[in-house]
Amino acid sequence: MLRRFLDELRSMSHRAVVSPVTFSLLFAFALAAAIVAVTGGDPLAAGAEMFTGAVTGSGLRNTLGRAIPIVGMALAVSIAFRSGIINLGGEGQMVIGGLAGTIVSIYVPGPGAVIVPLAMLTGAAVGALWAMLPAYGQTRLRLPILITSLLLNYVARAITGYLVRFPLSDVSVTLATTRQVPESARMPKMPIFGGVSLSLILVILLVALLWMVYTRTVVGYETQMAGFNMRSARYGGIDVEQRTVQVMMVGGAIGGLIGTHLIIGEALRFIDGELVLSGFAWTGLLVALLAVNRPIPIFITGLFFSGLQIGGLAMQRNAGVSWRLSQVLQAVVIVAVACRLSIRRSGRRRTEAGEAESAGVGEI
Amino acid sequence: MTLELELRGITKRYPGVLANDAVDLAVHPAEIHAIVGENGAGKTTLMSLLYGLFPPDEGEIFVRGEPVRFSSALDAIAAGLGMVHQSFKLFPTLSVADNVVFRQEPTRRGLIDRAAGAARVRELAEQYGLAVDPEAIVEDLPVGVLQRVEILKALYRDVRVLILDEPTAVLTPQERDKLFAVIRRLRDSRRTILFITHKLGEVMAISDRVTVLRHGRAVAHLVTAETNPAEITRHMTGRAVDLDRRAPDHDPEQVVLDVENLTVTGGHGRNAVHDASFQVRAGEIVGIAGVAGNGQSELIEALCGLRETDAGTVSLLGRDITYADVAERRGAGLAYIPEDRYGVGTTRQATVAENLLMGHHQEPKIQRRGWFDRGAVARLTARLVEVFGIKVGSVADPVATLSGGNLQKVVVAREMEHGTPLLIAEQPTRGLDIGAIEFVHGQLVEYRDQGGAVLMVSAELSEILALSTRIMVVFEGQIVATFDPRRVAEPEIGLYMTGAHQGAAVA
Repeated sequence: MLRRFLDELRSMSHRAVVSPVTFSLLFAFALAAAIVAVTGGDPLAAGAEMFTGAVTGSGLRNTLGRAIPIVGMALAVSIAFRSGIINLGGEGQMVIGGLAGTIVSIYVPGPGAVIVPLAMLTGAAVGALWAMLPAYGQTRLRLPILITSLLLNYVARAITGYLVRFPLSDVSVTLATTRQVPESARMPKMPIFGGVSLSLILVILLVALLWMVYTRTVVGYETQMAGFNMRSARYGGIDVEQRTVQVMMVGGAIGGLIGTHLIIGEALRFIDGELVLSGFAWTGLLVALLAVNRPIPIFITGLFFSGLQIGGLAMQRNAGVSWRLSQVLQAVVIVAVACRLSIRRSGRRRTEAGEAESAGVGEI
Repeated sequence: MTLELELRGITKRYPGVLANDAVDLAVHPAEIHAIVGENGAGKTTLMSLLYGLFPPDEGEIFVRGEPVRFSSALDAIAAGLGMVHQSFKLFPTLSVADNVVFRQEPTRRGLIDRAAGAARVRELAEQYGLAVDPEAIVEDLPVGVLQRVEILKALYRDVRVLILDEPTAVLTPQERDKLFAVIRRLRDSRRTILFITHKLGEVMAISDRVTVLRHGRAVAHLVTAETNPAEITRHMTGRAVDLDRRAPDHDPEQVVLDVENLTVTGGHGRNAVHDASFQVRAGEIVGIAGVAGNGQSELIEALCGLRETDAGTVSLLGRDITYADVAERRGAGLAYIPEDRYGVGTTRQATVAENLLMGHHQEPKIQRRGWFDRGAVARLTARLVEVFGIKVGSVADPVATLSGGNLQKVVVAREMEHGTPLLIAEQPTRGLDIGAIEFVHGQLVEYRDQGGAVLMVSAELSEILALSTRIMVVFEGQIVATFDPRRVAEPEIGLYMTGAHQGAAVA
């Protein structure tokens, strides 16, 4: 099984050379270089700072650290997208699951080896329950998940906002925040690259697990086929409604895991609005779209986006070029890839031949 | 005399396939020109090139003597060409009238005049005897009616050259005759018709000239009055074929499907199926004849669990499945070849293997505790491809690369493989070429001979007559007659199909 996994990696690296992503990256970097040059900067120096800032020293640690929520949230939403369900509620699932996990870590006494997993599981469970709401809304009441999951983000934000302002508020500080997560209940750091959260292993395991589920299991097959063609799936005996609920709940669970990680592994306090401001849910959504919902490409793309963001900060520090440029880069990559994919897709529709791969993005 | 339409040396290549190979075609003004050939012979590709859907690799197209280079269907439409495709190009959520007038909406004070549009559509529909409600929403309509909408679309645009791609596949004999009358009227008003078909009877009945395609080449240009079906068949296939497989006498044994007083609601709250009762026994093929849109689709969907049953009972081998879901019904012993092989029967984004697996994916020999036995999956798909002669490079290819006939083989292979006591086959040969029809018919007969019960819906009366042990005729959701195929003539069934018999009885 490991060999197959590696084979998959190899064939993907081969495809990457000819993929539209490569082209789009070159295009985006060229455009960014042009912008730097036009505004009087040195594009090569800026690029070098960005690169070294992302992959050396504390930069590498930060890149890996930031990749955890980006990849995690991308996985969370991709599960739904792949089944043809447009779950825009990643943010709410992350926030509400995150607070639930935080509460466990702060208020439940016990050794870290018990509390940390318990907090993560609680976060996952609450995220899953939160995601179940729009799922049942769709299957029972015909309320589109696209709308309800998005709107529930605001509800999640409001609920957590209330909780950290009043019942859970740490009155010793002026922020609207919970107390600090006690030392013993924090997600441990691994002694590599100067301390990367253990959650990275969790995310890598999730990538591998989803890859196996997608390629090896009946559930993976059924959700993919339902995503491709719901009528055909129903005809084949797949219970599309039941799968919708399951898929949403798994996505919500991962969102809750990531939310919990962000507090007990990074921020250590649940400060009102901070998880929302991070934008991880939305960056993750873009990563999922770019990687066409496939777990391994999601991991690679998530690392890349994380590196862009971290490298952008280093570039601002050392080359005096605004870190906003890395956001421009990110946006251009997305637009360029989306254009290429939709061109390939419409070309395929005309010839009724070609690769099935490019389908995802255009559909969502 | 200037030719209305001329194609010279048209060539189109797809990866690994030469779809059209230096095809010449000369169409005279005001003639009905039949293009015949088996599926995969390149008819649809040729028409798509002509219609500007994609450019030819080589060759030239002339319209009324002028060389043209269509970069899209809009150019072709502007040049006076109209096409009724085999798979319909309609907006499912809009009304019939909205679909017909699309891009040429009648306006009043700058706003779309929907009433005028609907009135014009109604007028056209009546003028040509195409029974369609202009207000109906397209997605509620059955396939047979959709085709009428497509024909109306072209008529509304007042085309000079009308291309009809297999137009009769979903029509009754009476409707077909009406369509032929429409076509002749169009010709008499100096319009030109390109008629794509593989039915020789139609070629002989309607066309003035015939061009035969085989393996992408135009192998014969004939004048209909100077040729005969045997000659055309020879050009098409290079061999003679026998389509008549009348059922041997059978002793109806065990009741497999028992339907009692079934009522199913259709699109507009009307009863699509009303109080239907019938049985299907082991070793028989029950054919449901009827004009498309008389409740067949709803009946079959209800039997298969894809549509809610409002009243009555359905039992399969004595087990009540009236309210069972699809998986339970399949488990109880039912397989289903659906009418819409593109939208329901297969998933175009998925591979051939994934499509062959659908419905088998839960079986214990395929998976254990939710994990696929990849060896078993590979063996299953490889065997189906081989036994059913599905022409495909690799089972990992996207199913969208298959031709219509091959796609249907995927569906037939998959459903036959279940070996269930009951097989429901809905329009199993619609749009297929002679070879593929022969194959599917052979499979159905073999299934029956092995003691399977088959419930078949077909708009092709010849198919019903050739295969059925018993024929039921549906009209407006009711079973209006049951026949023994050996004791009934085609016209009599036709009368029941159109409700004319009922009308006569009442009067």
